[in-house]
Amino acid sequence: MRVAHPTRASLALADGAPLLELTDVKVSYGGIKALKGVDLRVFPGEIVAMIGANGAGKTTTLKSIMGLVPLAGGAVKLAGRPLAQDTTEQRVAEGISLAPEGRAIFPNLTVLENLELGAYLHRDAKAMKETLEDVTELFPRLGERMKQEGGTLSGGEQQMLAIGRALMARPRLLLLDEPSLGIAPKLVQQIFRAIAEIARSGVTILLVEQNTRIALSTSQRAYVLRTGEIALEGDAKELASNPEIQAAYLGG
Amino acid sequence: MARGQAGKSGGLRWSRLAVGAGVLGVALLCDLYLADFVHDSSIRQLFMLAACNVLVASSLNVINGMAGQFSIGHAGFVGLGGYTSAVIASNLHEMLGGGEPTFARSFIVVPVCLLASATLAGIFGFLVGLPSLRLRGDYLAIVTLGFAEIFRLVIATAQAGEDGSPIARALSRLGGQNGYMGIDNQGIPLYAGPFWVFGLAFVLGVVAWRIKFSGWGRALRALREDEIAAAAVGVDPTRYKVTSFVIAAVGAGVAGGLMAIMRDGTPIVNPDNYNFQASFDAITMVILGGSGSVTGAAIGGVFITFSIKAIEQVQATSAVQALRREFESLDLNALRMIVYALVLVLLMVVRPEGLLGERELFQKRRGGRGGSGPDAPRAGAKAEAA
Repeated sequence: MRVAHPTRASLALADGAPLLELTDVKVSYGGIKALKGVDLRVFPGEIVAMIGANGAGKTTTLKSIMGLVPLAGGAVKLAGRPLAQDTTEQRVAEGISLAPEGRAIFPNLTVLENLELGAYLHRDAKAMKETLEDVTELFPRLGERMKQEGGTLSGGEQQMLAIGRALMARPRLLLLDEPSLGIAPKLVQQIFRAIAEIARSGVTILLVEQNTRIALSTSQRAYVLRTGEIALEGDAKELASNPEIQAAYLGG
Repeated sequence: MARGQAGKSGGLRWSRLAVGAGVLGVALLCDLYLADFVHDSSIRQLFMLAACNVLVASSLNVINGMAGQFSIGHAGFVGLGGYTSAVIASNLHEMLGGGEPTFARSFIVVPVCLLASATLAGIFGFLVGLPSLRLRGDYLAIVTLGFAEIFRLVIATAQAGEDGSPIARALSRLGGQNGYMGIDNQGIPLYAGPFWVFGLAFVLGVVAWRIKFSGWGRALRALREDEIAAAAVGVDPTRYKVTSFVIAAVGAGVAGGLMAIMRDGTPIVNPDNYNFQASFDAITMVILGGSGSVTGAAIGGVFITFSIKAIEQVQATSAVQALRREFESLDLNALRMIVYALVLVLLMVVRPEGLLGERELFQKRRGGRGGSGPDAPRAGAKAEAA
């Protein structure tokens, strides 16, 4: 994958500094506290997983990074710079892309149109064509279905499309919300292989998953979110062998 | 219209230009000679009204079809355009010395009128569009209906007379419930001949087509499908929603302006022309043709215009008139709403997406509906070759 953005300035990131940093992020929906102070750091080149049960606040965390929900407290920083004043569009322009939960593609638009919309903020024709080639190489099935409507794809293909669309913006940081949700196991394997490949080409990935096993085997580090708070964090392999995690999320 | 789009999918620049020039040429010939061929002015009026309604439908289609918002007050924008053009045309006519509205003079009057109509309608489109950021679905629909009714009632209830505030005095000159009939009630000068009506219907139809298949239209449709996903790729929902309202209002303003000063039309604008029924007719046109389809909106506009006329014709037949002597309250025009409602219900059962769905006539590519238009197949081919 070619991931360098044609026009975006490269970041001056000190060695060992996180690309994304959440400090004490709080989000409330009405009176309900969805996030009660989340601290999270993602370093360049990493795949970081965030696992947790339904309603733990995983999706809300991603939305707070994208600026899709207002913060009740705390800060989100990209390469050390606070994003508080930035709209969602600006965050996309700065290199954060989200593949939303539930394969939120545009069902009445063709696959090609969906992908083109991913490159919406930078209309560099050459870069767009290259990324389109890279995405079809990564997900050959999408290449076969370019002119089909997004809604006619299978669940797994729609997830591929959602990821492909997010990649079209040539992000530095890719946020993936439950890429395995409701998808046949065989396709889940394929999608996670693709995720690993995306990371190898230099894109930093924050992955939210309920499928703990595959999430921990793909990522280097992981956070466990429980009712709006980080309950555990650490090396993915260590977490996978943690008896508490095994009991709670890996079915013994 | 038809020929224009066939030319577009041909993809050759020159042939497109030739088609455009051809259509405008035909419109010009219509302007000069239509009256010699079609002697019945009511038929001429019908054709031109159909072209205006195509504009009404394709502008509403931007909000209801492409942006996925729901406006039930489109007649308000049409009326705003209508009154603006009527007043300006009357005054300009007076300034130019009165007499017969000539074709040569229409090149001054019509552009000025329509620009003013478009601007005013656009401003109100912006104001009505603002709540669309916070409201959706039925709530937004109520706001649009509210706007249209306020517009109609403000004009209809203006009292005649020269007292009160300047605004009240200005409004009172619009004739209130009786309608506006030009300066000293001499009638509105009807400047917009077939050249303007058919020409603009064609040009703005092409504009609507381009909007749909531009990056802008694609972003708008993305927003309709999934707002969060659209925001996540960097589409700014605020800007797009409000702009779609402005574009639709500008189109409606032009359509209303044309209708008000249309040759062979009636030299009067009346608040009742812009009531809820008119908004409902516009919605029927869009839904019938297929929400989101530009050619569908055109078909809907033509169909509804002609069916209104057909019902009037049936109304005038001796059989119906004889029946009316028996049953005094029989009014086919009132029945029209029932007929439309039934047609819509049937359509929703049999073909919920409308006649064309989101597809277009004269669209070469068959694969997906609402495809990416003239330029997409090439990009697609590249992607496949890769």
